[in-house]
Amino acid sequence: MSASLTPTPGLVVGDPQPQQQLRHREVEMAARGQWWRFLLILVVTTVVLVPILAVLWLSLQPGLGSPTTGLTLENFVIIFERTGVGTWLTNSLSTALVTVLISVLVAAPAGYVLSRGRSRLISSYSLLLFVIQSLPVVTAAIPLFILFAELQMVDTLTGITVIYVGSTMSVAIWMMTAYYDSIPIALEEAAWIDGASVFSGFLRIVLRNSLPGILSTAIFCFLLAWNDYLIALVFLRSEANFTLPVGVQSFFQQNATNWGLVMAVAVIMMLPPVIVFAALNRYFSVGGIGGSLAGR
Amino acid sequence: MPAHHGRRGPTAGTLTLILFVMPSVLLILLLNLYPVLYAGMQSLRDGSLIAAGDFVGLENYTDVLTSEAFWDSTGFTLVFTLVGVFGSWAVGLALALLLRTKIPAGGLFKVLLLLPWVVPVVVSATSWNWLVATPQSPFPIITEAIGLGRVLFLADPTLAQVTVCVFKVWISFPFMMMMMASALAAVDDNVYEAARVDGASRGQIFTHVTLPLISRSTYISWILMTIFCVNDFPTIFLLTGGGPVNATSSLVVLSYRKVFAEFQTGPGTAIAFVMTLTLVVVSVLLYRQLKKVNIE
Repeated sequence: MSASLTPTPGLVVGDPQPQQQLRHREVEMAARGQWWRFLLILVVTTVVLVPILAVLWLSLQPGLGSPTTGLTLENFVIIFERTGVGTWLTNSLSTALVTVLISVLVAAPAGYVLSRGRSRLISSYSLLLFVIQSLPVVTAAIPLFILFAELQMVDTLTGITVIYVGSTMSVAIWMMTAYYDSIPIALEEAAWIDGASVFSGFLRIVLRNSLPGILSTAIFCFLLAWNDYLIALVFLRSEANFTLPVGVQSFFQQNATNWGLVMAVAVIMMLPPVIVFAALNRYFSVGGIGGSLAGR
Repeated sequence: MPAHHGRRGPTAGTLTLILFVMPSVLLILLLNLYPVLYAGMQSLRDGSLIAAGDFVGLENYTDVLTSEAFWDSTGFTLVFTLVGVFGSWAVGLALALLLRTKIPAGGLFKVLLLLPWVVPVVVSATSWNWLVATPQSPFPIITEAIGLGRVLFLADPTLAQVTVCVFKVWISFPFMMMMMASALAAVDDNVYEAARVDGASRGQIFTHVTLPLISRSTYISWILMTIFCVNDFPTIFLLTGGGPVNATSSLVVLSYRKVFAEFQTGPGTAIAFVMTLTLVVVSVLLYRQLKKVNIE
């Protein structure tokens, strides 16, 4: 924390003569401090990343009795040949992508109403959404399990996708609302005067300018569905329907000694979020609702 | 309402807005509100996952509230939440302050340090298991090398609690770092300069200038992290399963185990519903508070 207070040399005020010397010393000190801070952050980052580096490193180790020495991709070949990881990956991708699609389609117009509308009903809805996002998932999981048992939807990907849509909804609407709030209403008003309907104003003016908001919301929904463990654990029973979180976990429990294979499955699971993060870093919002609350 | 400005008149516009918000309302009612109310009903019955059971009044609640397991879990949930919120905040703020200064490759570190938040919990829990859980793990081997014997971090109740809390801080500090970094970025550098010119020390500047200026974001990040911690299931369950001897069983884990492992739906939903009621009250109060802060 003290490091952040290192003075910016250019901002030092004083007599011109001593300032020259002062500047030299301060520049030197700032440069030295810079390297100390670099070392500090390097050490901290390395320590923090140990668990992630361990996953990568173990996944590349040859298994027992393997002819190869050094790093190898054989674990990945083995898991795709002998386990359900391919199926789990497909299941995870399809549930996550369908969740994103439905959630964004439903939340985008709903957020518009919350952003532009002013009525008692709308503010109560906004409060309801805030309350809902603070409730534990387990409370909803129990009744939904009973309901889905009657509808023959336990142990189906459709079933968990429906629940994911439900659990993303409140935050997704909040995020879209917060984004629309940043778009001036004057743009739509001009379109209305030109005879555009509310619908076409939303579609052609607001939505067209909301790509960053839509992307942040989509990323949030994708990660929620991709990372969920509790719902998948409760609802999915047969291995053919597993998503990666339960797949990884069951594989880990059965092969706890074969770390190379376990970590190879883990790598498959962490790759998509890391790729999404690397590609769309700019749109990656902190805890979803966090950004919307902080920005409002 | 924007509808009143449209040429098609208020009715057509209002209808559009109702259609915009309706799908989300239906989903929220069916997937969020109905399950919570159903859970409330179920907590008053002695049913199971397949049978509704008979009405037993508040019996499940008296059972739960007089059981030691409930209060132990409440205690652990509080500790877990306090450490999770303030631990991750302290680490996140320190790193945000450090990264605010000029550091070679600072941008790269900023991205790398977000990885614990991006990587799925299932993956990081697997890795932490490898690092600390078995006698052959690296950490027990290190503790033996420095003369402490092979410490099994997840076998001793107290050590397991500490490990789970540290794991939570490791997962959550990037969230805090992002929230604090964006709050710090909004502070005008001249404010620090003015305080420095006035002769304030680094410590004084931090407590009297920096902290007050980021207080709103700090407050919001605490609220959100509290909700994340109280409702957290996978972080705890994947590392310890709630054990050893229920030492790391939070209320969510306890509720899950009552319903899905011990098949006591009544007491399980009662626990979930106690949490739900508490969180509803707390979040309504917080929402009001936030709106107030906003207006100021």
